[in-house]
Amino acid sequence: MFPIINWSLISLEVLMAVILVFLVAVDIALPKNAGKDWIGIFSFVALFGLIVFWLTQGDLNGVTFSGMFVMDSLAWFFKGIFLVTMVFVFAMTQQFFKSMGERRNEFYLLLWLALIGMCLIASSADFLLMFISIEILTISLYVMTAYLKSDKLSIEAGMKYLILGSLASGFFLYGISYIYGAAHSTHFDLVQGYCQTHDMAPMTLFAMVLIFSAVGFKIAAVPFHMWVADVYQGAPTPVTALLSVGSKAAGFIVLIRLFFGVFGAWHADWSFMLAVLSAITMTYGNLVAMFQTNIKRLLGYSSIGHAGYLLMGAAAGSMLGASGINFYLLGYLFTNLAAFLVIIVFSIAIKSDEIADYAGLSKRCGLLACAMLLALVSLAGMPPLAGFFGKFILLMAVIKSGYVWLALIAGANIVISTYYYLMIAKRIYVDAPRSTVPIAVAPSMQILLAVAVIGIIMIGIFQGPFLDAAMTAVKGMYLSMKI
Amino acid sequence: MITPNLSWILVLPILGLGLVCLVGADKTSLIRRISNITVLLPFIYSVWVYAAYDHAAGGFQFVQNIPWVVPMGISYHLGVDGINSLLLLLLGAVSFAAVLISASIKERVKEYYVLLLITIIGTYGAFLSLDIFFFYFFHEVAAVPVFLMIAIWGSQRREFAAMKLTLYLVAGAALALIGLLALYLATGLQTFDLVAIQQQLASHPLPIEVQNRIFPLIVLGFGITLTLWPFYTWAPVGYAEAPTAISMLHAGVLKKMGAYAIIRFAVQLMPQAAHCWMPIIAVLAILNIIYCGLVALTQRDLKYILGYSSCSHMGYILLGLACFNVLGLNGVVFLMFAHGIMAALAFALTGFVVDQTKTRNLDELGGLLKCMPFIGACFMMAALASAGVPGFANFVAEILVLLGSWDQYRWLSVLAIFGLVITAIYLLKAVRLGFHGPLNPRFTRLADAQTLSAKFPYVMLLALLILVGCLPSVILTHIGSSTRVIASEAKQSF
Repeated sequence: MFPIINWSLISLEVLMAVILVFLVAVDIALPKNAGKDWIGIFSFVALFGLIVFWLTQGDLNGVTFSGMFVMDSLAWFFKGIFLVTMVFVFAMTQQFFKSMGERRNEFYLLLWLALIGMCLIASSADFLLMFISIEILTISLYVMTAYLKSDKLSIEAGMKYLILGSLASGFFLYGISYIYGAAHSTHFDLVQGYCQTHDMAPMTLFAMVLIFSAVGFKIAAVPFHMWVADVYQGAPTPVTALLSVGSKAAGFIVLIRLFFGVFGAWHADWSFMLAVLSAITMTYGNLVAMFQTNIKRLLGYSSIGHAGYLLMGAAAGSMLGASGINFYLLGYLFTNLAAFLVIIVFSIAIKSDEIADYAGLSKRCGLLACAMLLALVSLAGMPPLAGFFGKFILLMAVIKSGYVWLALIAGANIVISTYYYLMIAKRIYVDAPRSTVPIAVAPSMQILLAVAVIGIIMIGIFQGPFLDAAMTAVKGMYLSMKI
Repeated sequence: MITPNLSWILVLPILGLGLVCLVGADKTSLIRRISNITVLLPFIYSVWVYAAYDHAAGGFQFVQNIPWVVPMGISYHLGVDGINSLLLLLLGAVSFAAVLISASIKERVKEYYVLLLITIIGTYGAFLSLDIFFFYFFHEVAAVPVFLMIAIWGSQRREFAAMKLTLYLVAGAALALIGLLALYLATGLQTFDLVAIQQQLASHPLPIEVQNRIFPLIVLGFGITLTLWPFYTWAPVGYAEAPTAISMLHAGVLKKMGAYAIIRFAVQLMPQAAHCWMPIIAVLAILNIIYCGLVALTQRDLKYILGYSSCSHMGYILLGLACFNVLGLNGVVFLMFAHGIMAALAFALTGFVVDQTKTRNLDELGGLLKCMPFIGACFMMAALASAGVPGFANFVAEILVLLGSWDQYRWLSVLAIFGLVITAIYLLKAVRLGFHGPLNPRFTRLADAQTLSAKFPYVMLLALLILVGCLPSVILTHIGSSTRVIASEAKQSF
């Protein structure tokens, strides 16, 4: 019998796929060296259309494709994060590849593919679909990372990412096979039922460790972080932005679905492991970030540090922890994208990513300096900016779950990270500029910078509505996962 | 009768800040004028709030309560009692003086005033909040502006000083935050509302072992802000290198946020734990007084002397807290006010001297009374006030603290009195080397503060010191209405 498919649940992804196919056709049909960036413009319009469509989907709840695809408030929340991220990344791409002409169009197509992958990850309710959608995302990221053909660093980054990423995919599959062996299914509901009725056995522990190593690779947790610095530095900056925000968020929705949902019953067994990993991850990321001289590399290590903070929420294993992760990601989205917008505008103008070249930026472009300062202070977790309240909830979650030592380690890390973020702020605002030539900012970049900065401040001051959204997302999951 | 609406104290400077942001960076005199008014208005408002507060009725008045983040129990909850109405007054006076003496800033004027206003707004917010979350929120807002202001407008070692100060304070804040969160979770009320938590804990105190774990976190965390020995080293270097307005605000007011938080969140909410830890705090307090005092004796740098002196005087605040009776607590709050005004005055005068002479080294200074009699005379009075000479507010405060501690910590009190002698020695030394003796020929052409507007900030602060010193009841009635409650709650709990 053919299963009945509820197309309305999957309509967002279907639309995206239609747009992608359409754009491929346009790309082929368009004459070479078409005067206008048609694909970019259309992508932008389509993205806004999709965001409007996404807004109407808030109440959808259900399972389709024989239970493989789930649309719930958690998936909805994360799809929003991905769509907003993509708006920024498309605009960054448009600026960054201005001189690349035709090759830029293919890049847009890869971005669409990555977006479809991320949205499917958010909606996976089966290990197999989850694996396939992670691959859709990752493979397009491999290509995009190595996109600058003439740049040695980019090629090296793509190679490293490919090798380690494939390894992680292998681990994930291997872990799934053990899960299948134990639970006789790859369905989240059925595996979850198995977890609720059985104690953790060595075999399932092994499977969980394997699966976590693949997730850890995505979110850049120690010891699966080896790729981060080189890839962040070598990849084209829009890809770095996508990796640090979208791909990380995708990793965290996998983490939430699996470790809060599927393996939720074994919380007591895995939470200590995650707490230790969280402590190591944040400490390693922040300590190494102190010594970086390249801003993209520094943000790479700092993103490891933030993965550590986010893992606190996972270690807490409570609803507070999960909503803390969601809220933190929301703030991190605007904060990090603001930072990467500045980096892109700066690197196009100056052709450098060295922190030393940021000296005296405040005298060359007040907007860039101010946006960067706010982003850095928000990353450091100071009020009244977005980063503060996220850390606040995560700290509360771990203390509530009894990991006061983890909260203390996080406190020490906040001090370390404040040091290196403020060192950059000092360079921008205190040091003498190397040249006094002003830096111009394109209007589209100005608008996006303003949006990001307003986002940082709004989330930091009016936390209520955003926290509600973050909490509703997990509440829905807790219901549909029957916890 | 119209009652004050406390939100205006926050809204007015925020509006002013917005205006300053809109004005072009080259219109410096307009920016200065807007900033002066922006700081003056909340000062006037604070005076009104202080005058309108009914100390006979006591408790929190002019309360505003708007739910902010409902699931967490965070609310925008403002209100004043005898303690924070006084601190608002302190902040108003010091911030107004600070913004007036900032007229000497000539570089990057707009950025300067924007950062200064953010610092002042954050501090107002912290003193007004009756919600633990918002207290912490506002108290941290000031951190980054202070960092930037020291790093941009400071003197030679400004970058080091700025980083050291900020990292110490952030570390303290992180510890305190963990303590506050633990407190929030331990009460089980799901609210950050200070009033609700006070009521709950007054009738159902936390188990003593829980209190004993949370109390040190909060006291140590906010103690770093209060330059608790041995975590005071950020202060002398920070104050020495900072621009004058930040030295004034930080030594005068911002660091008092630490003491305020310890009174409100640690001592009042966990009296049993306070009782256990008090002897240790008293010993640390004496170390503050004696050790920092002795270090101040060896300094040849005018600003470092004031910096160590300010750390040393925090010892009296801690000692007063440790004795935990009405007299001691009155002394603590009184001293917060008196020391705040005195420190701001001393740093403002030193800033004036350093601006003119371009040196802080006492060996190079000398005879300055000859060329700047007004500034010199004011500095001598500030020094006398600091040494606890009767007639100035500090005398009343220190006497109250010592009377409060005499019964419980006899020997420590003797040492604390000895600390006053040390203060007198190093400050008189500073006066002798800097302002008496032969005038360095380099300085014969220096100008005194001449116009009325230039003299006004110093006169205002001095007048406050003398007024409160001669009529202590002006503020003691306010203080007493709140400290009585804390002390009696404490007594009931043992």
